[in-house]
Amino acid sequence: MLAAAGLGAVVAACGGSKENHYLSIGTVSAHPDIAVTEVTGGSHSPQVEAMLAEERTRNPGPGSDLEPLAPSRFERPVAEYRAYSEGEAKQVEAGVDRLRAALAAGDVAAAKRAWLDAYDHYLRLGAAYGALGALDEAIDGNPGRLPGGTRSPQFTGLHRIEMGLWTGEAPSKLIAPAAYLAAKVKHLQTVVRTIQIDPLTYATRAHEILEDAQRDMLSDVDAPWSGAGLRATFDSLAATEFVVRTLRPLLNGRDSTIEPVETEEARFHQTLEQVRKENGGEWPTLEQVTPEQHARVDGGLGSLLERLSAIPGALETVRTRPVPTIAEQKRADRQGADAE
Amino acid sequence: MSQIDRRSFLKRAGGVGLGGLAAGYGLGAATSEARAAEESPQQRAERVNKAELSDQRGFDGVHQAGILTPAANFSILVAMDAIAPGVGELTTALRALSARARELTQGGAYPPREYDDPPYDSGTLGTDIAPDGLTVTIAFGASLFDGRYGLASRRPAHLTEMTAFPHDQLDPARTGGDLLVQIAAGHRDTVEHALRELLKPVRGSLQPRWTVAGATGAQRGPSPHSSRRNHFGFHDGTSNPDVTDPKVMNRLVWAERGGAEPAWTVDGTYQVVRAIRMHVEFWDRVGLHEQEEMIGRKRDTGAPLGGEGEFENPRYDLDPKGERVPLEAHVRLANPREPKTIDQRILRRAWNYSEGFDADGQLNVGLLFVAFNQDIQRQFTAIQERLNEEPMVDYVTPEGGGYFFAPRAARDSGDWVGSGLFA
Repeated sequence: MLAAAGLGAVVAACGGSKENHYLSIGTVSAHPDIAVTEVTGGSHSPQVEAMLAEERTRNPGPGSDLEPLAPSRFERPVAEYRAYSEGEAKQVEAGVDRLRAALAAGDVAAAKRAWLDAYDHYLRLGAAYGALGALDEAIDGNPGRLPGGTRSPQFTGLHRIEMGLWTGEAPSKLIAPAAYLAAKVKHLQTVVRTIQIDPLTYATRAHEILEDAQRDMLSDVDAPWSGAGLRATFDSLAATEFVVRTLRPLLNGRDSTIEPVETEEARFHQTLEQVRKENGGEWPTLEQVTPEQHARVDGGLGSLLERLSAIPGALETVRTRPVPTIAEQKRADRQGADAE
Repeated sequence: MSQIDRRSFLKRAGGVGLGGLAAGYGLGAATSEARAAEESPQQRAERVNKAELSDQRGFDGVHQAGILTPAANFSILVAMDAIAPGVGELTTALRALSARARELTQGGAYPPREYDDPPYDSGTLGTDIAPDGLTVTIAFGASLFDGRYGLASRRPAHLTEMTAFPHDQLDPARTGGDLLVQIAAGHRDTVEHALRELLKPVRGSLQPRWTVAGATGAQRGPSPHSSRRNHFGFHDGTSNPDVTDPKVMNRLVWAERGGAEPAWTVDGTYQVVRAIRMHVEFWDRVGLHEQEEMIGRKRDTGAPLGGEGEFENPRYDLDPKGERVPLEAHVRLANPREPKTIDQRILRRAWNYSEGFDADGQLNVGLLFVAFNQDIQRQFTAIQERLNEEPMVDYVTPEGGGYFFAPRAARDSGDWVGSGLFA
């Protein structure tokens, strides 16, 4: 954010619009043999100028168009998120209980419904998973990360059961993995109730939850057997909507970030609901999504992500330590040596 | 400088003269500047183009070309599986592969055939093949050393199948292979032509398994030595070891002599290939400060954080707590520059690849990572294990590649790459 502000200042100083400014850069790179050394050798690039502006003004102080936020401002949003995620964790547990009951009864259809419920609510935890560590890997781990893949004995969580349910494995074979899953899920409520999330991580989650959905859900990587990528994207949207809602008071008046985010959020929400409606009110599997529907979903998500990416920068908090230069560290090293 | 390097240098210089082309090579800077002032941009472009096209990198010698050679602008890597019914058919194909590769790297006119016969050459480069700095580097995968051709006892000591690291999502159809051919040259049509021509004599014995086409960024400065940029916009390959120092190459690149290595591996090297998808839309939505902390360098200059020039020593010794360059920054984990990691360094030859869009409309682009090293476990694997949990893993997905062994070059036009393995 500081750097971006610096770049803005440079652009303003050049007296040109942003568009003109970038155009001149493009012209330079198009003729590398002729112009590059003259331009970048003689003066700093605009980005380096922006960096220098940051060097001059870093930690904390003027130079940014926004006063950094006090980290304490994040206490309330994170507390709200903890309460929300505790509710979701409870629902995950309930889903897994129903899953175990259905497996014990040999009812595959009911087991699939319960599995999807548990998966939905786990994804709605969204902001937490980075902070859950090994517990996340045990509950939601993918076989691709394990030696031996799906045959690995460590492949045990939700996706182990997904594979069994959607490939016609006998329900009785899934009773043990489900019991293991239940044991892990039991810890979830306690963990999310006390979870510590630092301000930057929380602000970054506002766009990373859906970045993961783009990379892993819509691409059919995360839940390949059930094909639940679209409903998983909707769950990720729900988690994002909650995080953004908690951050709204902090974003008010900061770079007009919140308004376009909310507009695009609502639009994408509507797009997903529409696709569900077109499929008779049920979430289609990724295979059932038509190319035309896919295009609408991909475009809507991409556009929302572009808006969301402004949030971490707009919510910058005080950076506590300046980053030293190599020259400064050399000087400090020499002084240390002299003192000895 | 090894024999092949001297040879290719001499050939290159000679090749320029033979072609009768006005060339900047070998002329003093003042002369070429004077010439540059006289000629029009069109004349200059023509001169540079001709000089590039006449560049010969050779094929025969001690070490295969395309290893110490700086990464050419364009490359195609193709992995193939051996389907030859017996070892005789296989060696015939390998012999033909070397013979055609030798012709293409030398360039020249191809022989005419009768009018009603299919022509000798596809003709996509015209009637006179320009060598264009073409290198063809041939390597063998671990799977070749199974029972099919009786090679099990001759497997290079450190050659294994590439297994998945924790964040890999390897597609079996894009991983492994019995044979790897790395084709690199100055222009895209040259590498495409070479691929087409090299497949022709080996049909029935070697069947393509996967391919990736790569390109380097143009040389855009700020200095003529600046490393090219990757799809993340950062300079790539800055801390490569010095290829002109035979001592360093003997320690880091060429197979160990004796010990567990079979005799035929002398003057060969292990080649690691990784097709690493880069999620660029996601990356472009990350603040520059965070990007630079993940990489450990400034995006504009390539300088280590807190430094000024790309090739400046990052001096991690002065920064033990990572106050300047975070301890988990990519460049710091990859090459910590500590005495104990000196033997782990690798020779990188990376290209960018671009394969259109994926099913979700996301750019399917990435890094075609190639590394040459003496011992995959001691070097590449040790580095990769340090990188397993680096913050950058969210933005990249290794999807394919493999481990291969590139043997010594063919001695002369009567020899072929791999002859030692079958001797």
